[in-house]
Amino acid sequence: MKESYSLVFNIKRYDPETRKSWFQEYRIEAGRILRFTDVLRKINKELDPTLSWNSSCEHAQCGSCSVVINGRPMLACELLVENAVEYFGTTTFRIEPITVAPALRDLVVDLEKAYDRVHRIRPFVINPSRNPNQGQEYRISPRVMERYLEATRCINCFCCATACISSHKGFIGPNAVIASLVRIMDPREDATEERLKLLYSNEGVYRCHTSMACSNVCPKNIDVAHFIGMVKDGDF
Amino acid sequence: MEKMFKLSSGIQCDVLIVGAGGAGLRCAAHILEKRPGTKIIAVTKVSHPQKSHTSTAQGGLAAVDPNDIVDKPIYHMFDTWKGSDCMADQSVVRKIVDAAWEEIVWLENRGMHFTRDEEGRLSKRTFGGHTVRFGEGTAFRAVFEADRTGKGIMDNVWGEALKGGVTFLDQTILTELLFKNGCCVGAVLFMEKKGEFVGVSAKAVVLATGGCGQVFRVTTNCRQNTGDAHAVVLQAGLPLMDMEAVQFHPTGIVGPGILASETLRSVGGILRNKDLEPFMAKYAPKMKEMAPRDLVARAIETEIREGRGILNPDHNIEHVWIDLRHLSDYVHEVQIPEVSGFFKQFMNLNPRTHLCPVRPSNHYQMGGIPTNSFGEVQKSPDTIIFGLYAAGECGCASFHGFNRLGTNSILELITMGRFVGERVLQYMEERAESLPADAGDRTFSQFAEYLENKNEENIEQIREEMRRMMTENVGVFRTEEGLNTAIRALYAWKERVRSAALRCRGLQMNQELVQRWELDNLLSVSMVIAQGALRRRESRGGHARIDFPLRRDEFNCHTLAYMTDFGKIRFADQRVDMSIYEAKGENFEKFGMIERKY
Repeated sequence: MKESYSLVFNIKRYDPETRKSWFQEYRIEAGRILRFTDVLRKINKELDPTLSWNSSCEHAQCGSCSVVINGRPMLACELLVENAVEYFGTTTFRIEPITVAPALRDLVVDLEKAYDRVHRIRPFVINPSRNPNQGQEYRISPRVMERYLEATRCINCFCCATACISSHKGFIGPNAVIASLVRIMDPREDATEERLKLLYSNEGVYRCHTSMACSNVCPKNIDVAHFIGMVKDGDF
Repeated sequence: MEKMFKLSSGIQCDVLIVGAGGAGLRCAAHILEKRPGTKIIAVTKVSHPQKSHTSTAQGGLAAVDPNDIVDKPIYHMFDTWKGSDCMADQSVVRKIVDAAWEEIVWLENRGMHFTRDEEGRLSKRTFGGHTVRFGEGTAFRAVFEADRTGKGIMDNVWGEALKGGVTFLDQTILTELLFKNGCCVGAVLFMEKKGEFVGVSAKAVVLATGGCGQVFRVTTNCRQNTGDAHAVVLQAGLPLMDMEAVQFHPTGIVGPGILASETLRSVGGILRNKDLEPFMAKYAPKMKEMAPRDLVARAIETEIREGRGILNPDHNIEHVWIDLRHLSDYVHEVQIPEVSGFFKQFMNLNPRTHLCPVRPSNHYQMGGIPTNSFGEVQKSPDTIIFGLYAAGECGCASFHGFNRLGTNSILELITMGRFVGERVLQYMEERAESLPADAGDRTFSQFAEYLENKNEENIEQIREEMRRMMTENVGVFRTEEGLNTAIRALYAWKERVRSAALRCRGLQMNQELVQRWELDNLLSVSMVIAQGALRRRESRGGHARIDFPLRRDEFNCHTLAYMTDFGKIRFADQRVDMSIYEAKGENFEKFGMIERKY
């Protein structure tokens, strides 16, 4: 087992003042279980304090640190150096911002723009159904919930939308679709028709080419394509 | 330089909410349900409200179900009081506990996916310190959404705020509060994406920015929890309360700080030092690994201090081991799959075959911006400042006193968020104010200084050194000597960063600039924690002094700390509200100055 690795990070940079974009190479020594966020912090400390990147919880629970590493969208906070070396078979990494929103500086993107897609599907209960137990919880069987509960684990990291071959061409994107599906299957929601109108529109699920890229890259291991399939089949 | 520093055209709103996590957005949702059309601006420092740190809470929300035939609100109040080491304010404890179930129903009715039993009702589980009949039995009081309760809350309050029409300002920070005639009338914000400063006039300003865990080297808190609102409040001449009350979890996973929960010890995990000695027997011969959190944290810290820790070379942190290798496959697969998963995910270790590194991790700040039970910010023990509110971890009402019980934090943020909303609705009918003429002056001189400095200092290096020093001297254990060392070091760093030059000069999305500002906030908060800890010559809850190991009655009061000049702190005391005890109702004697013994 190697204790530490000599890494080469080729990071895509962008300066909002000059609007210039370029790749910058950083050579850095990193311990085997440092995460990519730790390595970026190390670059800030030892090489270049101007390099900007995004993260928040760094527990793989908020989805702020998504970047594209050697072509694959991933959460930087859960990618360990030795795993990355093994997975990609190299110690050289090309790191770029995710592509579903414009870059603000370096690896930081305007996530608000990416979220526009999620806001479009209205991520809340639009028309609450009647609750027979007023003032108490709705009674919902775990059997009903288990069909879609997996989809509620989505953290909107936009890795799927970045990997999706259609989401750059008018498709609202995998994460937006499953956020809407959750409410379609939720017995507390009555606005199924309104939701389906968007999902079956020309920016809806039929844009999806079933490449399965979404399921393949999801850091939370959600089978996103399965849920998109449910929408396509009307199986809810 | 002057061109950079101007307030872009002002924004007017009814309510400005700073911090768009669970507390801030619960507040927004309440206001919009009761008064649709209210103009609310919610500001978040992270890239989108859904990224707020509320979403990382795992365990659950404590709330007594009125249909429960065993559990009663008075038991929950007692547990909270006892857990607080007799420092929670009882009026707040009563109010939050009584409102708890209503909030659960509110969340459920709006679409939160709580885990359910076969009848479709909300499931409940037990958590440390939660009991029935005043400590006699175990309470099943925490409702939860699998291992992601905080995410369930966050998704729903965000959805409701969005539905109600809140305007969000993402990646924006609060740099200055604005006052007129003694009332808070708005704030200066810095919008990182545009690199612009803006003055916002509001009828009410709500602070809900979360904790300040980045003060410490290993923490469960997110990168943005740097005590920003705490520092801005201090700068405005307002106090912070009980900042020395910091909670450490005994077993954080080395590196990311993420919690390796109590479960690991309850299923038979053994703590070992570098000689593989099962050291807990020395500290708690009977309870061993099952001793309370603070005792285990101190035992681990002692092992590390006395040279029996192990240094992790990658993260450069000392730790001890938790040994799970002897546990059966059943335990690994069924009882601890998530936590085992964390070791795999963040350390590349298989707990079945490897020892796993853990050490105490900073978890929660019990102290904060003092408020009454309505969330109105106090300027002194008996007076409030009109127009300013605080809720969630940045506020201190105080529900947790000196030690917080598990599952009480997300309960607090959701109930206090609503209480603030209720108060704001009453208050905002009465007033509207323009901004003071000098709005932004303080911010501009502060940021201009950051950008004009020329010395070579490494901000990230200082930040790291500060966090390490705070962990060593102001962490799990404290001594007079250590605290004095810390205070001297904080003065020295403040001096060093004063002239630190930045290499990234623009205002737009300048991470280095924001981190420079954060470092000032961290230094201020650290100073208040260290001096508060020095002054409190006793041990109580999360505050443990080796040189004063017992709780002392003369300290049965909250600490208020004012600091407008760095390091020069004026302290005041505030009495603990004991209204349940004083009402002399049934079981009142349980709410006296009781011993915190389990």
